[in-house]
Amino acid sequence: MFGKKLKIENELLERAEKASKAAGYSSVDEFVTHIIEKELAKIEDASTEEEMKNKLQGLGYIS
Amino acid sequence: MTGRNKYFHFLIFALLVVAVVISGCGSRPDARKEGKRVLVLGFDGMDPKLLARFNEQESFPNIEKLLRVNEVRTLRTSMPPQSPVAWSNFITGMNPGGHSIYDFIVRDPSGYSLSLSTSRSIPAEKKINIAEWSIPVSKSRFELLRKGRAFWEILEENDVPATIFRIPSNFPPVQSGRSISGMGTPDLLGGYGSFTYCTDTPPENMDEITGGDIPIVSATDGHFVCKVEGPPNTFVKGVPDTSATIDVWVDSENHSAKIRVSDKTFLLNEGEWSPWVRLDFPFIGRLAKASGIVLLYLKEVHPGFKLYISPVNIDPENPAMPISYPADYSKELYEKVGYYYTQGMPEDTKALDHGLLSDSEFMIQAHEMDRKVEDIFDYELERFTNGFMFYYFSDTDLRTHMFWSALDPSHPEYGKRSEVARKVVLDTYRNMDRILGKAMEALKEGDTLIVVSDHGFASFARSFHLNSWLKDNGYITLLDDFNQGQYEFFENVDWTRTMAYAVGFNGLYINEAGREGNGIVAPGPEKRKLMEELRAKLTAVVDPETGQKVVSNLYFADEIYDGNYIGSASDMIVGYNNGYRASWESALGKMPRKWFDYNTQKWSGDHCVDYIHVPGIILSNRKIAIENPALTDMAPTILNEFGIEKGDGMIGRKIFTE
Repeated sequence: MFGKKLKIENELLERAEKASKAAGYSSVDEFVTHIIEKELAKIEDASTEEEMKNKLQGLGYIS
Repeated sequence: MTGRNKYFHFLIFALLVVAVVISGCGSRPDARKEGKRVLVLGFDGMDPKLLARFNEQESFPNIEKLLRVNEVRTLRTSMPPQSPVAWSNFITGMNPGGHSIYDFIVRDPSGYSLSLSTSRSIPAEKKINIAEWSIPVSKSRFELLRKGRAFWEILEENDVPATIFRIPSNFPPVQSGRSISGMGTPDLLGGYGSFTYCTDTPPENMDEITGGDIPIVSATDGHFVCKVEGPPNTFVKGVPDTSATIDVWVDSENHSAKIRVSDKTFLLNEGEWSPWVRLDFPFIGRLAKASGIVLLYLKEVHPGFKLYISPVNIDPENPAMPISYPADYSKELYEKVGYYYTQGMPEDTKALDHGLLSDSEFMIQAHEMDRKVEDIFDYELERFTNGFMFYYFSDTDLRTHMFWSALDPSHPEYGKRSEVARKVVLDTYRNMDRILGKAMEALKEGDTLIVVSDHGFASFARSFHLNSWLKDNGYITLLDDFNQGQYEFFENVDWTRTMAYAVGFNGLYINEAGREGNGIVAPGPEKRKLMEELRAKLTAVVDPETGQKVVSNLYFADEIYDGNYIGSASDMIVGYNNGYRASWESALGKMPRKWFDYNTQKWSGDHCVDYIHVPGIILSNRKIAIENPALTDMAPTILNEFGIEKGDGMIGRKIFTE
């Protein structure tokens, strides 16, 4: 299933193509999707952890 | 009467006798004894040492009556002695191996991310998108993560009515009996209490203040507009935050202000608290909104403008989240006593800690909470004709956390505390004795009364950066040593070269191969050897400032827990010595370049230490027959009072003689 197209600079695309082949991905699309998912997971985890920290501050256990 | 009729009447009589005998021999005859009552008062954190000390200074007549039945009895608390863990032991009759609540904070072994242990929210799965709207067609919900059955579920199954008031670790409340949730219940924003401090004068310590929002405002002709942050609007794409407006017109000459909140306008004098007021946060115009309630405190009108607004509590009349069972129970209480605190831990410890509220101002807020808690207690006590009731008081816990250093001359902050602060805890114990007197007066012969505290208290004078110690001793390797201490949540950790890490206030994990995402320590003998090594080293750590040992015991999970969920436990549980606690930073995976800090916060008493230092209290009007009673004994004891066998997996014992 295809979503929106993303713009990317040619030079970066070439580097991504090389890296995706070296890392054994079947296509650059798969490689880029994987990288975005990985970064998103980090950000989403971080927001959950910040939320947790705020909650513990509300309880008083965290400064 | 003919012989045949005689035979017929005899047969009917015999059948009736058999029916009566059968019903009398049923599995739960005692459970439905009409009028049998068991009342448990939960005084969170009431400490046996403080009680003895205060009792030397003055009489507590009602507590003393119970002490004549049983001499001072300490109650073995949970390990670790954290409130969600301790009350889960009480609720389920199991230890953490059975109910799966081990600490305030847990980690996901695959990615080492941290989260809260007791509940989680699950967003609505299905939404319809129309223009800028994103309308949920299924409900978001909350899930209680505690495992095991609550004892009152078993009571209710046996036709024993149960009322449970604000017990911790029960959000959302289990679908049984009549209950309102306690510690763990969020405010309307989903946190555990975030205040707003609206001012035109930024506090000097502005950058250090946590636990709330400080909007800096300016006046136009004496008119200030304060915005209070509301819950995110899940009906709109992008989920923007909502807010509500409070208008304030100050009268500097008379040191007062006219305040408009929603459709209500009222006057407040400087130094005065408002009654509860409702705030509405619209989602889709007037079609959908969330309602919350706040208290306002007009701290100063002139020369600076300072308005404190309490965390936005869930409106009990129209709750946006499930805070009671049945759902309309919170509204029923509202109709009886008016608005009341619904947030899990109502006292605003952060506002006090950061000096936004003084000791006296904090206590006025606390007394508002006390008043409503007691109003509801009176209401429930009056209609308590049979069955079971648990009633919870948080006062003894939060106030000992905040005012310990005012009581303890050995605490480094003792000299800085106010005269008001020195009286708070004693006043609170005195008040609990008075409440106990009300309960004793309401009970009759044959009723059972139990007073329980889930843990006691210890000094929190020094904090220990356990993760920094692990790093300096080679158990944690950083990706970038130069930036040590800059990151939270283990962000700078090289997991492929890390052997052990500490999470939360007492948990210590091995980075186990096959379990953790990048685990390197083989399970079995290699892991055990490392655990033994850590036990030997950590129990030998001495604080160079005080000469005291920091850790009195390091427990292994498989030595102290039973149950089906041991696999979720931390491998080791750190039992801190009296005076020490895990640092705020270490609990969240941050590693400053030092091992110790003085605790200069007003939050100066704590109980996240070795359980042997902080037992709770048990008092009763019945003779306690067993040695060393524990929190896990309470559920089987309560069930037995109604002639009901203890539930599956309960490890506790009955504490009374038959």
